[in-house]
This record gives sequence, structure tokens and C-alpha cells, in this order.
Amino acid sequence: MLRVDNLINSFGDFKAVDGANLTVKEGEIVAVIGPNGAGKTTLFNLITGHLRPDSGRISFKGEDISGLPPYTICKKGIARSFQLLNIFPRLTVFENVQVAVLSQHNRSLNLFSPARNMLIEETNRILENVGLLDKAHEIAGAFSHGDQKILEIAIALGNEPEFLILDEPTAGMSPEETTATMGLVKRLTVEQGLTLLFCEHDIDIVFSTADRIMVMQQGKTISEGTPDEVRQNEQVQQAYIGGD
Amino acid sequence: MDIASTYGLPEIALQLLVGLSRSMILFIIAAGLSLILGVLRVPNIAHGSLYMIGAFAAYTVNTVIGGAAGFWLSLILAPLFVALLSLIAERALFCHLYEREHLMLLLFTFSLMLILGDMVKLLWGVDYKSVTAPNVLKGALMIFGLPFPRYNLFLLIIGPIVGFGLWLFVSKTRIGKISKAASVDRMMVGALGINVSWVFCTAFVIGCFLAGLGGALVAPTMGITLGMDHTIIMEAFLIVVIGGLGNIWGALVGALIFGITHSLGVMLLPQFAIIFPYLAVVIVLIIWPRGLLKSVW
Amino acid sequence: MFKGMIHKKTALALVAILLVMLILPHMIPRFYVYLIASILVMALLAMSLNLVVGFGGLFQFHHGVFFGVGAYAVALLLTKTTLPKWICFISAPFVAALAGLIIGLICIRLSKLYFAMIQISLGSLLWALAFRWYGFTGGDDGIHGIPIPSAMSGVSNSYYFILIIFVLCIIALFFILKSPFGSTLQAARDNAQRCEAIGVFVKRHQLFGIIIASFFAGVAGVLFVVLEGSVFPDLLFWVLSLEILIMCLLGGWFTFAGPIIGAALMLSLRTFIGIHTEYWTLILGIILALLIFFLPQGVWGYFQEKWTLRKEAVAERGQ
Repeated sequence: MLRVDNLINSFGDFKAVDGANLTVKEGEIVAVIGPNGAGKTTLFNLITGHLRPDSGRISFKGEDISGLPPYTICKKGIARSFQLLNIFPRLTVFENVQVAVLSQHNRSLNLFSPARNMLIEETNRILENVGLLDKAHEIAGAFSHGDQKILEIAIALGNEPEFLILDEPTAGMSPEETTATMGLVKRLTVEQGLTLLFCEHDIDIVFSTADRIMVMQQGKTISEGTPDEVRQNEQVQQAYIGGD
Repeated sequence: MDIASTYGLPEIALQLLVGLSRSMILFIIAAGLSLILGVLRVPNIAHGSLYMIGAFAAYTVNTVIGGAAGFWLSLILAPLFVALLSLIAERALFCHLYEREHLMLLLFTFSLMLILGDMVKLLWGVDYKSVTAPNVLKGALMIFGLPFPRYNLFLLIIGPIVGFGLWLFVSKTRIGKISKAASVDRMMVGALGINVSWVFCTAFVIGCFLAGLGGALVAPTMGITLGMDHTIIMEAFLIVVIGGLGNIWGALVGALIFGITHSLGVMLLPQFAIIFPYLAVVIVLIIWPRGLLKSVW
Repeated sequence: MFKGMIHKKTALALVAILLVMLILPHMIPRFYVYLIASILVMALLAMSLNLVVGFGGLFQFHHGVFFGVGAYAVALLLTKTTLPKWICFISAPFVAALAGLIIGLICIRLSKLYFAMIQISLGSLLWALAFRWYGFTGGDDGIHGIPIPSAMSGVSNSYYFILIIFVLCIIALFFILKSPFGSTLQAARDNAQRCEAIGVFVKRHQLFGIIIASFFAGVAGVLFVVLEGSVFPDLLFWVLSLEILIMCLLGGWFTFAGPIIGAALMLSLRTFIGIHTEYWTLILGIILALLIFFLPQGVWGYFQEKWTLRKEAVAERGQ
């Protein structure tokens, strides 16, 4: 479904991504792991168009999407969440998700019909799905960190994606929240038939959740395969797991 | 219209020289604005008012002391007065607002502009004031067989001197180097344990000093009047923008473009002369939206 | 149509205010009618600005230009052409919107202060043109004695005309703000990066916002001409643009009605203080500085906060 070939991106002299390769098949859950600064977030930003690659190719469902702007890529069915909190703090929770739903239904430029009566069911269904429905009319900026992270996933779901990218969905969460969130993510993926690409610091979570894993180091893909294959890969053991 | 048929080469050269000398005043004012913008990130609209106060203060020094001595002293005392004023404003008001967003800071400097404008009205009244240059700088010199005002020549000399002084300050003094670093990365400077607030204050006062100096220098060339702050601040801002926000050499380039296109305008279409610099600004910004030289932020 | 969008009480209050405003010209001296009419003009201008600044988060620092363009457009059309008058009145806001499109297209490539500065330079260009082009715009004298149809000339007639247009525009602005466009604009203000990631072409969206705001600023410009019968280059000068920013600040950025309150406060203060002292700007400057220090959310914003807090307190006690 998604194919990344030999992707390179640099900031000045620093090559943040330097030859990344990745294949994600439909319905798979794929994790990207690697030490801090390995280029995971940059890779995600390249896929979703927030950065333009220097060279290499990203194709989604056989179509070249490298260098397209984020809003176009989103419309092709790729939605994402961000590592750092990235919501609309002054809007209500409902509005946060609704904006995404409106965009997905190409209603964003509609000027004269009241938004509050529009696509309510769709929005509420998503909120119910992630368990935020009872807080729908609170201002998002006043939320707890954990709820804001969940809200971010909900916003991404508002685009009815086929392909979901989550950048450290559990960053900053307590262990209980982490387990609950990963459970939620896994349930959503199965229920909605999503393809999921995520990165995560907690290795246990990665190995228990992902169907396949891609390992990055210094911007390069050093291994790609099933959890078992990755675990047995010497390079990975040296670079990451048995690094010290 | 063909310039060469209306004007001979000497006239064109002379007109450009006049434009160049006007650029020098603009440079001095815009460099101050740019310094403040670069280091403090404050778009200081009150800069124009400080320039106006500089001109009025120069008038007062000239009337009180009189003669050539009065003029030369006014070039020092008027900017110092402005600097003192800005020091008070910075320590009493500005320094509490640095964490606010740009819009608030901008509106705050606008409120200062309103206050200072009326203060000038209170102190100096609403009449035109004028300052006469000392005899050395009066009259005209013959250049290319045409008269060129001595005062403009004086401006052509003073501009580079101020520019050199500013360069010395930014690249040779400790506080200047810190200001420069602060304009690039203020977090880093703060992390190094340097008192950023003090750096900001110095940069602000020096920037305002330059505004006052510009006012004192411009005093003999035009009527000193209320409202002279309104046009200058706009011009200074545009110069800073086309030069690159916060870049002092950008201010020089911008001022040159502004002054020279204006004198070209005077030759081509005198009625629309003021449109030429604005047009130049728009063209520059369409091609180089972030200004000609590297902006510091 | 308004179902669920505003409270019943608020709606009743608004209708009451409207009724009072309709009979007002028969109750109070002409001078006050004129003052209220000018407040309505400025309030509409400030609200159009607030659409892009308060709700759009853009650094629209030279909004006065679109007001001036609208005013000059109707003035020039009425004095220089023989077109039917209603065409002149209707087309002027579209001229302002066109100016919004052109200036917006150039500015929107950049953000924040750069956006503001390019807008100011383009606006200054227009100001300089109006200021100097004696043959066409009347130069710094402006254009006076613009022939206004008798149905809307005179203080009382122009008041009613302005009131009607004002109410229509406010309703339109309210709907725009509550529309999907409006919520997306606010989302883009809160977080442009996230907004792009959910499939919104943020810059295009903001450009539409600028065009809409310029259109309403143009309407305000037309109303100004109806009220004053003249135009002058100060309408395009940057000082006016900052004054309307102050009105928004005075009333409150993130509130819908804030700019109306701000415009009313500012114009009444100017009028009544102006009677007693020529140092009106000094007082305005001090008020503004105090406001920035102590009440950055604006007068209306402050009261709104108070009300929400009180409501919450009441709700808690209820439980």
C-alpha cells in the first residue's frame, strides 16, 4: 500500500533521513523504531508532505506522492497524529474532530450553513469510538495530556483514513494510559480496517503490537521484517537492542 | 519620458547625490529600528516619535545655545535626550512586556507613539519650528559645475561615520556581540547566564539614540512639525523589511534603494515621486519576500 | 434559521436593541444620531478586521486600505461615471474584495510580521497614489460633495440606511463565523500545521478570509461615504488601520461582539474627551497602554470571562 524507496532529506549538512526504505501492505500494523534522532519523525513528515524529500520516492497505492503538500496527501487517505501535542486548543473537543470531518467531506469552504448542525453523527461516532463523547463540549486546550493525545487520534480518524500514521501515540503517558491507548489503537485498526504505521519508544509495546518492524539508525533503514526477524538481526542487536 | 533629454548627465548625477544624502538619514533611523527589531523583536512604532522628539530637542538646543556651537551640541544633546527618554520607557514599561505576542507589542508601541506625539504638542506647541545650519554647512558647493548643498555633503559624510560606529559596536564590543547573538538565538544567550534584559535595554537605547540623531540631523533640512513621525516610521519600516528584518546592513541597502528611487522619481514624474520608493519596495518584496539580505529571524 | 445558535434571551435583547435603534432618531439630537451612525460604520469595519485577526490569526495590519478602496471606489464611480447609482454602491465592495484578492495573494506567501509588512507597503503604495494623483483622486484634498441619492442623504436617512446594511452584514458575518468555513478558519488560527494535516489548504482558506473581510471593509467604506459625502487619503493611511486594531483590542479579540463595543467606546471617548481637550490622543494612548498591561482580553472579553465563571459557579452550587 505504501512504499518508500531510498528516501533522503537533509537540513543543511545534516542528513536526517539518509536512505530509508519501507513497505507497508494493506491491513498491516508496522512500527518504526530506532534511537532518538534516528529520523523517525522526519520520515513521517516526509510521507505526509510536511517536508519535501531531496531524493527518493514515496508511493501510496501505486501513486507517486513524494513532494505533494500535506492537504493533498491527506485527501488521498493518509491521516496522522503528531509526537508533540497538536490539537486546536481554543476549539471544543467536538469542533476539533468536526473540522477534520468537514474537511474530509469537502465542506470546509461552505460559508452560509451553520456548522453545528453538520455531520454531527459522524463526529459523535468518532468521539464515542475513542471514549471522549461525554467531554465533547469542553475546550480542548484545558484537557489532560492523555486526553489530548487521544483527541489527536480522534482528529486523525475524522479524515476517515485508510492509512493511519501515529507518531509516538503514548508519549508522556503513564503505563496504564499507555496500555489502554495501545489497546484502543489496535481495536480501531481492526474495526475500521485501517493500515497502521507508528513509532514508539517502548520496545515491549512495539514487539507485541506490530506485524512488522522497520529499524532506523542515523537516517538509514538497517532492518525490516517480522518482530522475530528483527530481533535476530545482528545489526539491530548491535545498534539498538544490545547497543550498550 | 527620457531622462537624458530633460536633464544632462551632471544634473542626473547631482540628483542622485541628493537622493544618496537623503538615504543617509533614512539609514541612520532605519538602522536603529532594525537593531531594536532584531534584538528585542519589537516592531517599535514609537521610533518615528523619537525621531520627531530628536528634531524638536535639536531646535530647543539651537535656540537656547545658539550659533554654530548650538548646532553641533544639538547633534549630541538631542539624541542623548531621546536615549534617556527611551531608557525610562524601556525600564518602566517595555521590559515587562517582552513575553507578549507581536501584536500586543506593536499596539503598545503605538500607544507610546500616541502619548509621545501629544507630549510634543504639549511641550513645543503646534507651530512650525526651524533650525539653521552653521555657516560652514550653509550654501552650496559647485560639483560638475552645478550647485550642491553643503549640508547634503555633510550628511553624505556623517552617514558612513555612523555606519562605521555601528559596525564597531556590533562586531567589536562585548555587548554588541551579545546583542547580535541574542537576535539569532535569544534562548541560547539566556542559557549562557548573560542578563538578557540588560542586553535588550542597551540595544533599545542605542536604537532610539539613532532615531534621535536622525531627527537632529534632519532638523536644518525641513520644517520641524507635528506629524513628521507618521511618514518617517512607515518609510523606516519598509526599509527594514526590504533590507531583511533586523539586519543593519540591510537597513543601509534598503535606505539606498529608498533614497535613490525617490530622486529618480523626482526626475521622471515629480508629482508621483513618493510613489517610486513604495513601488520599489513592492517589487523587491514580490521577488525577495524576506528581504534582500539575510534576516536574523 | 438561528435555531440553537443563540440563546432565546440574547435574541430578545437583540430585537429590543434594534427596536430602540429604530426609533432613536426621533428621540435624540441629530449630533448623537450622527455619532451612532459613525460608530456603526467603524464597528462594521472593526468586525470585518476581527474576522481575519481574531478568528483567522492573520497579521492584517493594514485593513484600512480595503475600507479606503471601498470608499474611493464608490466616490469615483459616483462622480466620474454615469452608471446608475445602485450599481456604483453595489460594485464598490467588490472592488474592495478584488483589492483583498490581489494584496492577499502577495501577502499570503509569508506569515506573521512579514505578512504584515508587505501588506503595509502595498497599502502605502495605494495611499501614496490617492495622495498624489490630483487629477483622478483629488490628491490630499480628497473628493467632496459626492452626490448621494436623497433617500439616504441627511443624518436621519443615512442613519437608517447604515443601520439596515449594518444589521444585514452582522448577520452575514455571524453565519460565516459559525459556518464550516468559520470553524476551519479558527482551527487554522489555532494550529496551521495540524490543519494542513487534516486536508485543509490553509493558505487558500486564509486568502478567502482576507477577501471576505475586505468585502465587508468595502461595505463599511461605502457606508462612510453615505454618511460623510466625502473621501480623503487618510482613509488609506496606516494610522487608521492601527486604530481599528485598537477597537478590536479594546472590545476583545476572540469575541464576536467585541469590536462593536470597542468602536463604540473609542468613538464616544474621542467625541466627548475631544470636546474638553485637544490632547485626546494622549488620553487614548494612556488608555491603550493600561489596557495592554491589565486587560489584554478586552472589555467585552473580560465581561464574557466573568459571566462564564459565574455561570460555572452557579452550576456547581446547583449540583
